[in-house]
Amino acid sequence: MNTLAYTPFIDALPLHDVWYLLIVPMTIFLAIGYKGVRTTHLNRYPREVVIFIVQILGVMAVLAISFMILVNVLIPMLAPMPS
Amino acid sequence: MSSPPDTDFNPLAGLAALVFPGAGHLVLGRTKRAVLVCVGVMGLFLFGLLIGGIDSIDSKNDRVWFFGQALVGAPTIIVDYVHQSQFKAADPNNPSIIRSGFPGEQRVIQSGQAIWQPLTPEQIESGMGPPNVPGLGRINEIAMLSIVLAGMLNLIVFLDALMPTPEKTARPKKEEGGNA
Repeated sequence: MNTLAYTPFIDALPLHDVWYLLIVPMTIFLAIGYKGVRTTHLNRYPREVVIFIVQILGVMAVLAISFMILVNVLIPMLAPMPS
Repeated sequence: MSSPPDTDFNPLAGLAALVFPGAGHLVLGRTKRAVLVCVGVMGLFLFGLLIGGIDSIDSKNDRVWFFGQALVGAPTIIVDYVHQSQFKAADPNNPSIIRSGFPGEQRVIQSGQAIWQPLTPEQIESGMGPPNVPGLGRINEIAMLSIVLAGMLNLIVFLDALMPTPEKTARPKKEEGGNA
């Protein structure tokens, strides 16, 4: 018999309201793995991981703000909706 | 002008990297890098599986995504096998269609074949249902993307294990004030 109780790694998590926050752990794991290969000197590894995380999240934030301005301000100015 | 660093060709390490993330660097004797790579790739893989459930790896319904996910290696193949064999079943109206369960159905084995069987309202009320709840919308997309990212990352790891550059050590800092 199967019940509808939540089972980790089997059922999906109901995170629809906070989907945009999921980029943070993805970025952290990506930076850990990528810099594990690409860092030439491992003694600089922690610093390079942190810089990479900040770079990705920073660019994503700038892109999000830019598109928000484009969609909410610029496009309504250039092509106003007929009332 | 400095010459590019020498690279060795190591097919065994490349093969190991394709089987499990980090195994290639373990073959090369680079244990610390192997651990870091394994944490990164398997972290992305397990994170995707955690938020999207087992439905985020599906070689039948999400074939194109699966090609990217398969670059993770054995973990993806095993999870997909379990998904196809333990969580899917035949449609009761058309047994040639193998699909995930809908709410209000249960998976039963009839004459050796798994098939979806509708539940009675009493059974649904008691909490019975299909063995997994598939992810929908953005959550499903982000979960699949996370596992594809793990596959892409493991492709970089594979290339680094196949043709490793010599390990560099940090230059010692020059002592200030000479030898005095």
